[in-house]
Amino acid sequence: MSKKVGVYICKGCGIGDSLDIEKLAGLPEEEYSIDTVKIHEAFCTKEGVDLIKDDIANGVNAVVIAACSPRVNYDVFDFGVDKIVERVNLREQVAWSHAPKDEDTQMLAEDNLRMGIVKANASEPPVPFKAEEDYSGKLLVVGGGLAGMTAALEAAKAGYEVILVEKEAKLGGFLNKCKQRVTFPYKELTPTGIEDMAAEVSANPNIKVYTSAKVDEISGGPCLFNLKISQNGTQITEKVGSIIQATGWVPYDAKKLPHLGYGRFKDVVTNVEFEEMAKEGKIRRPSDGGEVKTALFIQCAGSRDPEHLPYCSSVCCLVSLKQATYLKEQDPEAVSYILYKDMRTIAQAEDFYRKAQRDGNIFIRGSVEAVGDEGGKLYVAGYDELLGEKIKIEGIDLVVLAVGMVPASKPEAVPKIKAPEGAPGADSEGMIEVAADSGFFANRTLNLLYRQGPELPTLRYGFPDSHFICFPYETRRTGIYTAGCIRRPMESYQAEEDAVGAAMKAIQCIELTMRGMAVHPRAGDMSYPEFFMQRCTQCKRCTEECPFGAINEDEKANPLPQPTRCRRCGVCMGACPERIISFKNYSVPMIGDMIKAIHVPEEDEGKPRVVALICENDAYPALDMAGIKRMSWSPYIRFIPVRCLGSVNLVWIADSLSRGIDGIILLGCRHGDDYQCHFIKGSELANVRLSKVAETLQRLALESDRVRYVEIGIADYHKLPGILDDFMKVIENVGPNPYKGW
Amino acid sequence: MADPKKKGKAEGPVSYDPSFSKEVFEKVDYGEKIKMCMQCGVCAASCPLSMVMDYSPRKIFALIRAGKRSEVLSSKAIMLCTSCYSCKVRCPRKVPVVDVMHGLANYALKQGYVPREETALFGREFWKQILRLGRIDEKDLPRRYFFSKGIIPGIKKSMELADMGIVLMLHKRMKLLPERSVKGIKELRKMLEKASAMGNGGA
Ligand code: SF4
Ligand code: SF4
Ligand code: SF4
Ligand code: SF4
Repeated sequence: MSKKVGVYICKGCGIGDSLDIEKLAGLPEEEYSIDTVKIHEAFCTKEGVDLIKDDIANGVNAVVIAACSPRVNYDVFDFGVDKIVERVNLREQVAWSHAPKDEDTQMLAEDNLRMGIVKANASEPPVPFKAEEDYSGKLLVVGGGLAGMTAALEAAKAGYEVILVEKEAKLGGFLNKCKQRVTFPYKELTPTGIEDMAAEVSANPNIKVYTSAKVDEISGGPCLFNLKISQNGTQITEKVGSIIQATGWVPYDAKKLPHLGYGRFKDVVTNVEFEEMAKEGKIRRPSDGGEVKTALFIQCAGSRDPEHLPYCSSVCCLVSLKQATYLKEQDPEAVSYILYKDMRTIAQAEDFYRKAQRDGNIFIRGSVEAVGDEGGKLYVAGYDELLGEKIKIEGIDLVVLAVGMVPASKPEAVPKIKAPEGAPGADSEGMIEVAADSGFFANRTLNLLYRQGPELPTLRYGFPDSHFICFPYETRRTGIYTAGCIRRPMESYQAEEDAVGAAMKAIQCIELTMRGMAVHPRAGDMSYPEFFMQRCTQCKRCTEECPFGAINEDEKANPLPQPTRCRRCGVCMGACPERIISFKNYSVPMIGDMIKAIHVPEEDEGKPRVVALICENDAYPALDMAGIKRMSWSPYIRFIPVRCLGSVNLVWIADSLSRGIDGIILLGCRHGDDYQCHFIKGSELANVRLSKVAETLQRLALESDRVRYVEIGIADYHKLPGILDDFMKVIENVGPNPYKGW
Repeated sequence: MADPKKKGKAEGPVSYDPSFSKEVFEKVDYGEKIKMCMQCGVCAASCPLSMVMDYSPRKIFALIRAGKRSEVLSSKAIMLCTSCYSCKVRCPRKVPVVDVMHGLANYALKQGYVPREETALFGREFWKQILRLGRIDEKDLPRRYFFSKGIIPGIKKSMELADMGIVLMLHKRMKLLPERSVKGIKELRKMLEKASAMGNGGA
């Protein structure tokens, strides 16, 4: 597109007091021959915006606004998708955080403006992706329990067609086994209501139900998912836009708990067995069918135990309270002991705990040492923490183990796949254990035809990975959302809420994809990676490193990008050694040009230059925040926002250093088990790649101290100036880059 | 807090006996309220006397739950409660701890558990004075109490606390002259008699 750039420099919010605006306004013309340059007291006012609009009417199609942070006023400075808008931050990161009317501050503003102009010059307006194939706006829900049915009903109510696949012959899932529920507002036992819900689902014209069915295969991506479903030996094909996996949980295997008497005594049962007994009619002693006068519930049976289930399932406390209530209702004289580590009744479920106390159940905080049999009755020996003494409770008719929830996705043993040749760790048959965070780990449910494996990558305990705090329903496969106990252990009310959330995300995915837009976290972004395939060397880095499995591969290892699966993180762009992956408005040469636009003063001026590649998701807002708080840092640092640290191509580091930049700092989100990276693997990959940069530095005969990687959370903004100044000290110590002036 | 091991540590493990809880729920004033106790310990932390009690209020409730009847009914703790109300105000489960403590003390007396000699003596002297004056004479009550065990220990105790007495006098908390009875002492006596005839409350 032929480009006409206009530059708009704002004097408002203190920018005018800090900088020599007239001088700054001379720069575009002088250095880039741009003749449309305007200054205004406040461009965000109607008058200011109209000024820009007038220029647009006269042919300007790339607008560089040197004013506030791009994180504010984006709605004010929206001139339509076909216009390029580049925001140069002169407020938070210049005027508010650096000495006014100072030479270094002015130089900082100038460099920021240069980088903005260069970027606008290199950008093209994105053209939304549209596949040739027809798009589907249906949803697939896998799993017909409470969460799955809720999701299906919600989506159907919103007017979307839903396909529901359930492996059992009957809809309902775990609640089919339950006598009653205790759920919000957690006052009394209530009917499960699951049969009514199943009937409602079956009767809904927008929902097509396949029971006794399973998903054999899924290929494609959002709006293009092609399914093969098998039911009673026949295969059905369907096409959907997005998917909700609500495949639930299984109880922790009590056979692994012989120390609690399971398997040794007939009258030791799990909470699931107790529930089934209650549902069938009467709670009895399994050994002789006798009355249950005294029951004892052992909480955290296997849970919160590093040997078994290390986490808290958050529901079994409430379940035991419910089951003790069943017993009280059956026989008001019966006594229930509840032996707990902590009573964890989530949210208002505390109310039900109070009810169970009022009913006269006996709560003991402590631990179990032995479960045994004495004259036909059981006893439980242990330690009462609040009494500070050993206890032995005798004459028990029934011991109930409150076992926790294991995600249905978690395999019994770590699966193995055929190892690539020469891979370390392969067994004698050439098989190798798959990584828990790979798509090969989980039990088969979706059978995705993805290069990165058939299932959702999981987290440590076998739950599908999601950005737990910020984007809980998003998995690492775009357009596939999890809801209910497959996502994390939860109570039924929460599972319903979860399903509503996941249904909303699934609908959003369809709507955005149809418009050629990205989903969370770059929702609405219309750019997508394009591959210049002629130069591809089939190195497989992009296909392996894409955190969302968005790139398939043909037999010859050519990458086959699936743009509707893409989150636009740019990790592939950072990975590609041939630098052939680029977005219309984000590419390797573009950032390279921005780096080149920075004026590097001569060595004798004593003004070092550092490039900071800063993640736009957390680190950049943190820096803005520091500016808003009027904190200050070295004016020698030039910040270049990146989509994700994972999109940082190592060539930028070489580019910078060979141009005389003295140091480079990468600022991004935390990685690891408790990662904060919005693209899950981005900052981790950046860290790995950076460990290899030493080579580049060696080749250039430079000190490795010149490159630093820092993880920072948005709430840690107050630490940022210190981190930056600390790095500047290091750079001053290692001295100027010898490549200056080359 | 006093060492709980000193007292009530039975041989072998404790076997929970719900019958005492039942007894407390049914027979002790406010006893049923302790069903709601979740053993958080806020009452124990709030109680100004828990350091001299053998069991904190929380522990008393744990003992009731475990069925330790004699430990509870013979405990010093239930007699020491001074009705400061801190526990009752703070208990997140709305257990009226102070009322339960008094309920338990009252029940213990009825069950024939005699309080420690000093406690009983102090209580008797206290009530005598209330009946006589309608108020407490801050010199007279301690004097009677100190000297109840003989002249020598009485003088000793008085000497020990002489400084405090002086401070109290300087702050006009204690008068040199004997207290006079309150106005309407006769009516007050009638009220107290009637209350005791109703047989409720009071340790
Ligand atoms: S919910 Fe209760 S029983 Fe279950 S693991 Fe958590 S603390 Fe233990
Ligand atoms: S790495 Fe990111 S940008 Fe590249 S294909 Fe995957 S999701 Fe898209
Ligand atoms: S990283 Fe680049 S060169 Fe390697 S396979 Fe992907 S596109 Fe081809
Ligand atoms: S404060 Fe209340 S709930 Fe907590 S231990 Fe005391 S009586 Fe029990």
